[in-house]
Amino acid sequence: MEPPIYYSKAEFIETDTGNKVSRRATIAGPQNIILGGKTIISSGAIIRGDLRRTGPGHAVVISLGRYCLVGEGCVMSLSVTLSDRPPYKTYRGNFNYYPMKIGDHVHIGANSVVEAAQIGNHVEIGKNCVIGKFTIIKDCARIADNTIIPPNTVVPALSLFSGSPGGFCRFVEDLPESTQEMVEAQTKQYYTRFQPLDR
Amino acid sequence: MPPSVRYHCPCLSNSPFPPPPHLQSSYYSFHPLHELFFCEECDAVRCNRCVTVEVSSYYCPNCLFEVPSASVRAEKNRCARNCFLCPNCRNTLSVVPSDPPDSGDGRLTVPISSLNEPPFFLYCNHCRWDSAEVGITFEKPTGLAAQLQKFEDSAPDSLEFERLKEHFEPFIRASSLSSSTNPSHPTAHPSSAAHSHHAHSNSITAAASAALARDVPGVSKYNPLSRSTSSRSATGKDRSVNKDEMPEYRSRLEISKASASGTGGGEADVEFMQHLEDIGQVATLEQRWFNSWATPLQTSELKPLRIPLHSKRSKRCPACTHILIKPEQKAQSVRYKIKLVAANYLPAITVALPHAQRLTAELARKLVGKTTSATADDERSSASDMHAGKTYPFHLALSNPLYDPITVRLSVQRMHVSTAPTTKDDGSPEKARRPPFAVSLPTSSFSVAAFAEAWEYEDDEDMFGADDGDDLPGRGGKETDSRGKVRTVGVLEKRANVTLVGGEVVIGKEARGNVKFNMLVSYTYRSDDPSPEGNDTEESSKTTPEVKTFAFYTVVDLGQIIPREEPKADSDI
Repeated sequence: MEPPIYYSKAEFIETDTGNKVSRRATIAGPQNIILGGKTIISSGAIIRGDLRRTGPGHAVVISLGRYCLVGEGCVMSLSVTLSDRPPYKTYRGNFNYYPMKIGDHVHIGANSVVEAAQIGNHVEIGKNCVIGKFTIIKDCARIADNTIIPPNTVVPALSLFSGSPGGFCRFVEDLPESTQEMVEAQTKQYYTRFQPLDR
Repeated sequence: MPPSVRYHCPCLSNSPFPPPPHLQSSYYSFHPLHELFFCEECDAVRCNRCVTVEVSSYYCPNCLFEVPSASVRAEKNRCARNCFLCPNCRNTLSVVPSDPPDSGDGRLTVPISSLNEPPFFLYCNHCRWDSAEVGITFEKPTGLAAQLQKFEDSAPDSLEFERLKEHFEPFIRASSLSSSTNPSHPTAHPSSAAHSHHAHSNSITAAASAALARDVPGVSKYNPLSRSTSSRSATGKDRSVNKDEMPEYRSRLEISKASASGTGGGEADVEFMQHLEDIGQVATLEQRWFNSWATPLQTSELKPLRIPLHSKRSKRCPACTHILIKPEQKAQSVRYKIKLVAANYLPAITVALPHAQRLTAELARKLVGKTTSATADDERSSASDMHAGKTYPFHLALSNPLYDPITVRLSVQRMHVSTAPTTKDDGSPEKARRPPFAVSLPTSSFSVAAFAEAWEYEDDEDMFGADDGDDLPGRGGKETDSRGKVRTVGVLEKRANVTLVGGEVVIGKEARGNVKFNMLVSYTYRSDDPSPEGNDTEESSKTTPEVKTFAFYTVVDLGQIIPREEPKADSDI
């Protein structure tokens, strides 16, 4: 029913597994980033795969699951400056980055800054959010638009968090039991609606 | 706002008919489909307002520890591990070790976790509050709640509260006993008719009224004797009925001296207020009463609070007490052992305005690769406008969640014309009586094919309707020259388990408000029928007893009407 969301075919690269990555997105250290398939990286998004653990060898810094969306609203704007950056802290005297894992069916809204350690499946993060370092977001949680989640927060499953800018976030309510099905349908639909347009 | 469909739950009133849709209060009778439950026993829709809720498990929202329900009460409904809320900003506090002793060379020392130097204290990453400010430090970084417990237990407030509980416990036990024997109460005392209402009041209210009549130190005694003699006899009897057998409670501390011992009030506060330099020094009410263990006036004295527990809840049908929702025991699991949600029983209905859809689609095409977003938002919202005095088609897509085909019949509930929304805005009553809009829906019943799992379809386009883009121009051409010539009302499309039907709304010239109407959806389904031909509208088996019918109301909101007077150009139509 929903009208398609068009993107220009020249701008996006589509991989074998259906990932659609904008050429206008800044992706640093792509060898350290895993996309699960059918994931959309919108234009203007910044993903820092180069900030990895010190030490030799190959390391996965950021992994995203299937049907994810980073930086929504690419049809309307290119001003999306979403910076996914792995969490870091100083431990045993060493400054270090920690990997970031994002599950399936996760939508991250435009202009959000995500530094979370772990995001579960079926999570919706609104626009203009700041997700602090080492935040853990469990399955089916939702972060409202313009929310600031301070570092080290745990967002339990099926809960809605919201907070005004300059303020701080808090638990608002439990989400309905069928959130998982809803989000799954929405994210799948979004992927099908996201269609190329030759120009 | 996009057009929406909400489903009716009849729990708020006794009548099976929903309230008129334009009333503000009707909002509470309608819910989105995904928030509703379905009781198979009662064959009825249930909502969050009418189900009975019980706690199935408790957990801490921060450490996600599942607290056994036996220990919840002893731990006062809060996490008894390491989870604390910042009294200043409600963020979660983290435990940090003390800084290593300053090396003295003036270099900024980085806090190094490896040194693990006691004392440990709680630190807020958001507002930089730390518990060392209020004198709370820990010898070891684990079991903080237990370490704090002895301070809490020895605090004068909690000791006082414990004593109060002890004091009232025998009385409450006695009154709960007597309330069970209350029915015999009025027969034992056939007192004056004027006091017959006392027979209905339970022992708690009796105790409360007795407590009100008691001597309060420092307050001159209210003497009913001086008022009237009749009331004296009444109170006399009353007293004999509910004898206040409670011994007088003596507090541990004299309240007049309490301000000296730091409970606030009195001259200490005046002193503090006189030297106030910044409003931030005074704790806000929220900080005092919700975020802090103590309730001090000064921000610098706020104490951290353990994090309140959350619960997972199971839900029951209010009529037959069958379980509708039963979560899994594990706290962070999003699965359910029992989950009877309405979305698995009722057809899901989505509504769309094709003229708006077409415009947004064109807009999307136009805007590919453009940078401005503000104009797009503007145009997008104006695209779905409906102007007074025009006719608009709309589409309803019904998708069937059942494994059997269903036959659906739609009908519009008759509007209560007298309370139409036009009455409140423009004064003329004759015009107001006219219904602001008329809705026409397909009158004959139509079928919606059975739900099938995704892999049973041949390609993705069947499932998701990815061919919308190709369809739209064709459909659009049909509508622009419609005006009754081309059929817009009726079944438009059938695809997988979705049937698209068209309706039409004729908006009156004086109409304003929202196009919002109640729609009755009734559907029949054959409970166990293996025959796959669900697409026949002529169902021969309609009379067989296997056919079941279910009907429910929905409210369809197509959006706001733009009144005629407004100078808004209809260029976008």
